[in-house]
Formats: sequence, structure tokens, C-alpha cells
Amino acid sequence: MSEMSAPLPVGTTVMMERTGESMEEMYVNMGPQHPSTHGVLRLMLKLDGEYITDCVPYVGYLHRCHEKIGENRSYTQIIPYTDRLDYLASMSMNFGYVMSVERLMGLKVPERAEYMRVILAELQRIASHLLWLGTFGLDLGNFTIFIYCFREREMILDLFEAVSGQRLNYSFYRIGGMAMDFPETWVEDCRRFLEWFRPRLPEYDALLTDNILFQKRVQGVGVLPARTAVEYAASGPMLRGSGLRWDLRRNDPYSIYDRFEFDVPVYDSCDVWARYLVRRQEMAQSARIVEQALAQLPAGEIQAKVPKTIKPPAGQLYARSESPRGELGFYLISDGSPKPYRYKVRSPAFVNLSVLPEMLKGCLVADCVAVLGSVDIVLGEIDR
Amino acid sequence: MTPDEILQQLTQRFGDAITEAEVKGAEVRATAKAEVAWEVCRFFREAGFEYLNCLSGADWTSRLEVVYNLSSLQQPAKAHLRVPVPREAPVVRTVTDLWPAANWHERECYDLFGVRFDGHPDHRRILLPEDWVGYPLRKDYADERMVPYTEYGMEEKLPRAEGEKPAAKAPPRPAAAPAAAAPTTPPPEAPKPS
Repeated sequence: MSEMSAPLPVGTTVMMERTGESMEEMYVNMGPQHPSTHGVLRLMLKLDGEYITDCVPYVGYLHRCHEKIGENRSYTQIIPYTDRLDYLASMSMNFGYVMSVERLMGLKVPERAEYMRVILAELQRIASHLLWLGTFGLDLGNFTIFIYCFREREMILDLFEAVSGQRLNYSFYRIGGMAMDFPETWVEDCRRFLEWFRPRLPEYDALLTDNILFQKRVQGVGVLPARTAVEYAASGPMLRGSGLRWDLRRNDPYSIYDRFEFDVPVYDSCDVWARYLVRRQEMAQSARIVEQALAQLPAGEIQAKVPKTIKPPAGQLYARSESPRGELGFYLISDGSPKPYRYKVRSPAFVNLSVLPEMLKGCLVADCVAVLGSVDIVLGEIDR
Repeated sequence: MTPDEILQQLTQRFGDAITEAEVKGAEVRATAKAEVAWEVCRFFREAGFEYLNCLSGADWTSRLEVVYNLSSLQQPAKAHLRVPVPREAPVVRTVTDLWPAANWHERECYDLFGVRFDGHPDHRRILLPEDWVGYPLRKDYADERMVPYTEYGMEEKLPRAEGEKPAAKAPPRPAAAPAAAAPTTPPPEAPKPS
């Protein structure tokens, strides 16, 4: 590791001194401009012939010191910034953030708002997993699935647009409630979407899950044993793909998740295949939750009474929630003023990416894209 | 172990080195001196806290602080450990040997707060460029490009250049969202793939 710590100029390929038996040891840069790194991530790979012997990820190309910005904004003003963390799951980011501020304030959110939150966050999980599924297929040379997934994701974005007026960065959650109620026909539209969506899942199976070429690419690749996953604090589908039944919606329930019936899909083959299956099954479970929430959706207020300037009492807490990528944590310190004294984001993809070198060691170079794809990174939240 | 038992054992074992300790809900909250930080972490690790949720820093102007958020996949107990370190020589022993997850967290804490982690296997900046000067999350860090905080609605009171007009206030939002005309429908007869 030590000889790798000195950074090489981006884009260089350097032949290294021969060590030991190996005749073909060398360093190769992957990224930062590479279509399969899903953003600006640079991986320094140490290769022995076709095999990866070590990997050092370089992050920070999108760094904007999100946390410093947060310290200079009021609690309400931070909400739009949280959208830009994980821009593929803005609803989940909003959810995690407003929930942590509400806990700091000891605020109770109206029932209807809680249901709206869960419905939107679960739709967002489906949309995020769809985008992941499409691009993951694309990474592995299956273009068709990409088009199919984007067709369904588009419908979810239409639903979000009808609710919030935005297609990507919604800023729709408010501290103590929601910005607006659902439009009149929205619940019906959402039901129709679910009706349409359910039969689509077997289509994805036909395209990818049952595709022998796809299976050969992902089975037994990028193995992450359960023990390593816990040591590196991997979360979300990474943990569940390593055989650990751990989902914060079930194990540390927040909001109203304890009211719904859903399964936590777990696969114990610990490889890319397992993580693929977890996400594939989670879409069906999220659809189940949305369906139940729509059926139970109560009428009533959508916004609790909050002061115009939000000043949580002095104190600090770490609040976590399950975003599509894993454990999203917000660590807030309040000194009783209108802006947080300290605002820290524990981004799931940042921690999940830190385990990547462990998974890549011993892999073929050609599998690097598959393993990286299975982590499901979004650089917006990694670099913050 | 329940949080109360953990707290009791912790204070018994480390005595004066634990300056503050309480149980809040399922969470053990403790403050430990920097000299014993690693030993306290090992105590938590052995007490079953095998999952390092978060490691972060905080700047209290008189001192810096490293904060560990720990939990377990087996028990509902959580831990929140704070370790104050002097501002002039902020050094604490690394916990990467207890939780490898701490690797990137500690690099980030070093990057943004300037806390050094003794024995860290890869002690470099992570988010900022290697040649960056200063530690941005310290309270005394100054950068002229930072936008100052203003109270919402106080924009017109900001100092502005001669002759510049005050910014127009946004019109109030309509009370009820216009209902219908939501073009959200998934197409009823979308093309069926064959």
C-alpha cells in the first residue's frame, strides 16, 4: 500500500519494476472520466497480468464542503442541499434529514405526513434501484434492460413531478411535515402505476436474472464475506447481500415503518449476484409498502406547528435511516441558534466504497466494472 | 448487556478517565480523555459494538473533539463516545485496528479538522487536494468565497452597493394546490414487449 500512496498524474499508465515471479505487474488508472465509474471516481488498480492485486480509490472530485455550507445555513435552508447529496434518491435524503431535526426538536409529525413520507421514499427506492438496474445491465453489456428500467422510472418521475413540480431535486419534505398535499388524482395514478409496475419485474428477470451470460459475469465475483462487511460497516444491500438480515426499517424502525408488512430480502452468496438479487427483490417489497400505505392513508393535516425560525434545543444526536444505498446518518449538534453548530452526513456510499479494495483483490480486470457497479455509488454523496 | 450495565462497567474500569457518562434511551453517552480513547474503544468493541456507524469531529473553539457512534447488529444498544483533544496538538490513536471502517472516516476527520490519528495505515487527505492549506471545518477557517448566513426574510437588510435595488420578495404561495391537470398517468396501454 505504501508505495501506492504517492499519487500519479491522472491518466498515466506506469510500468513498474518487476517484483518476484511476476512479469507483468503494473498500475492502471480507471477514471476519473470513465463511463462505468458513474461520476468522477478514480480507481488506481495494481495489476498482475489480468488480475487485480490492489486498488486505491481516489474520491473528492465533487467535494463542495457540504457540511461547512450546512453550518452557515438555517435548518430549513439545508433541505435543498440534501437533495444534492444523493441526487438519485433526493426524497430519501430529505427524509433522513428532516427526521433528524425533528428528533432533535422532539417534534411529532402528523399522521398523513408520515404516510406521504413513506410512500414517496419507497417510490424513490424503486426509482433508484431501477436506475441502478438499468445502468448495471449497461455496464455488463446488456443494453435492453436500460431502456426497460428507464421507462418505469420515468413514470415514477412523472408522479414526483405532479407532487412537487420537480423531477430530480424535490426539496419536498419540511421540518414537521410536507410542503403540499398530494394532488387530487395522485393516489389513483400511483395505484395504476403499481398495477403496471408489478408485472414488469418478471420481465427484468427474463432479461437479466435468467440470462446465463449475465449470471456467468456476476456469480462468484467480488466476494464480500459477512465478517468483512460488518468490520467495514457496509450497509444496505451490501450487508444483505452478505447474508446479514439487517434493515433499519425493520431493526431500528423509524417513522411508521413498523406498521407495514414487508420482507427483508437476504442472500448469502456474498457476491455481485447476491447484491443484484437483493435490489431486485427490494423493488417488489417497496411496491408492497407503497400499496399498504396508500390503502391506510389517513386524511388530515400535513404540517405540524413549527416556529418560523427553527431553533432546536441545545444538544446533539446521530439519527439514521435506510436510504436505497444503506445507512444514511445525520449527526447534528445544536447550540440553540437557528443554524446547526455541526452538521455531519454519514453517507452510505462513502462507507460502502471504502470496502471496494477488499472485494477487488484477486478479481479479473474485466470484473472490476461489475464489482464497482454492485456497490451502487453516487458521487454526489460520497464527495459531499 | 443493557446500556446501564455497560455504563456501570465503563465507569468502574476507567474511573476518572471518563469525564461524563449517561444513558439516554438505548444509547450510552460518554466522554473519555484522549489518552485512554483507544482502550475505551476496545472496551466497547469487546462489549459487542462491532459496527462503527460514524466517526466525526467537532470544533468547540477551545478544543477539538472526535466523536464515535457505535452500534451492534446483535443488540439494540448504541454508544456515543466523545473524545476531546487539545487544539494545539490534536492527536488520538487510530481505531482502524478495531474497526477497519474507521480508515476513511479518520482520513476525512484529518482532512477537514486536522486531527491526527496515530498509527493510521494511510494517513492522507481524502476529499480535498493533497496540497490544500488549512482545515475547512474548523470554526476559524476563513474563505472569502463563503456565503454568509442570513435570516430568512432579512435579505433587504444586507449591505449592498450604492444605487442597487433591494431584492424582490417572492410572492406568497397559493393556499391550496390546484388539484386536477396532473399529467402523471402511466400510459394505460404501454407497448408490450414481446
